[in-house]
Amino acid sequence: MTNQDVEACVPVDISDDDIYEAMKDISGYLDITPGDFKDVYLKAYRHAVLRLTRSVRVIEVMTKDVAAVSGDTSLEDVAEIMAARKVSGVPVIDGDGKVIGVVSEKDLLSVMGGGTASTFMEVIAQCLKGRSCLTVPVREKVAADIMSSPAVTVKEETPVMEVAGLFTQRGVNRMPVVDANGRLVGIVSRGDVVRSSCFGGGA
Amino acid sequence: MNYLSKMKGTTKSPPMVNVSEVIWSWFGAFVGISAVAYINFNVLAGTGLIMMIASFGASAVLIFGAIKSPLAQPRNLVGGHVLSALIGVACYKIFWAQPWLASSVAVATVIALMHLTKTLHPPAGATALIAIIGDDKIHSLGFTYAVLPVGIGVMILLLVALLFNNIARNRRYPEFWV
Repeated sequence: MTNQDVEACVPVDISDDDIYEAMKDISGYLDITPGDFKDVYLKAYRHAVLRLTRSVRVIEVMTKDVAAVSGDTSLEDVAEIMAARKVSGVPVIDGDGKVIGVVSEKDLLSVMGGGTASTFMEVIAQCLKGRSCLTVPVREKVAADIMSSPAVTVKEETPVMEVAGLFTQRGVNRMPVVDANGRLVGIVSRGDVVRSSCFGGGA
Repeated sequence: MNYLSKMKGTTKSPPMVNVSEVIWSWFGAFVGISAVAYINFNVLAGTGLIMMIASFGASAVLIFGAIKSPLAQPRNLVGGHVLSALIGVACYKIFWAQPWLASSVAVATVIALMHLTKTLHPPAGATALIAIIGDDKIHSLGFTYAVLPVGIGVMILLLVALLFNNIARNRRYPEFWV
């Protein structure tokens, strides 16, 4: 989380009058001016935002009920699972539950477009032109053939603030969350992070 | 912000306290100053000893009228006065031939030392000054000025503040000890 994000969370529109009214609510003489109190309040608020943002762990915002496939799951099944769960990507795990990759909509589209098209519209365009729109080879493939590997994963204890940075740096939209042994325990999406921030209206 | 515009101020004065606060402040100061003044004028009369100095009036403003203020807390009340009494006497002993210098060095030094020891208590500046501008009676006390009137005097004020300021349901003293 950058300084700008923190600034956006701080209620800058609090006025001296608000402080003055609050001071009237407290009986006894307060040895501070409304202006100074406002400064203290805004600085304290900024510290609180930073502290809370740093202290929220990814385990608190991730989706725990995560669908996963294994390396030998057929792409047909992968697509079906993603459609049923209404997700745009699934982790691929080995027999021990360790994450070995991620299959996303993009990976599926890429293989359907014969490796040259990677967006939905590109695939449509290719199909309409009657080229490389063969689903037959796709049917023979399995998750391990097309997954992005190694997967970008995060640990349960990773602060959400760091996760937000990783999404941008690594250019991904979701990351499997793993425990200390590398086993899948959940998945965190950009949406989860947004919902957990002050912009998301509370998690 | 440019130099002159700083003089306009940026905010307004804090709200007036409610009437009960005014009444409690009045009674607190009445009891506290009564205790010290009674000892000064009645008990110590004829002994040559004094208990009351002018700076206690200023302390009463803080410890009965602004009891939440950091400046009014026991650490500041006792620490500020005793420290300033010692510095005041020392400055008189060193610079007695130049009273203007003794006065300014004393007050400036106690402000610095009170900051450094986190015992800032404005009335204590007067305590330092009294050690220099006081009469012969004060001067003859030497460093015992820091014990009586100053040390014992502020302990009595502190005791009254502790006993009195906690009677009212919505008043509490102190905010902290150290």
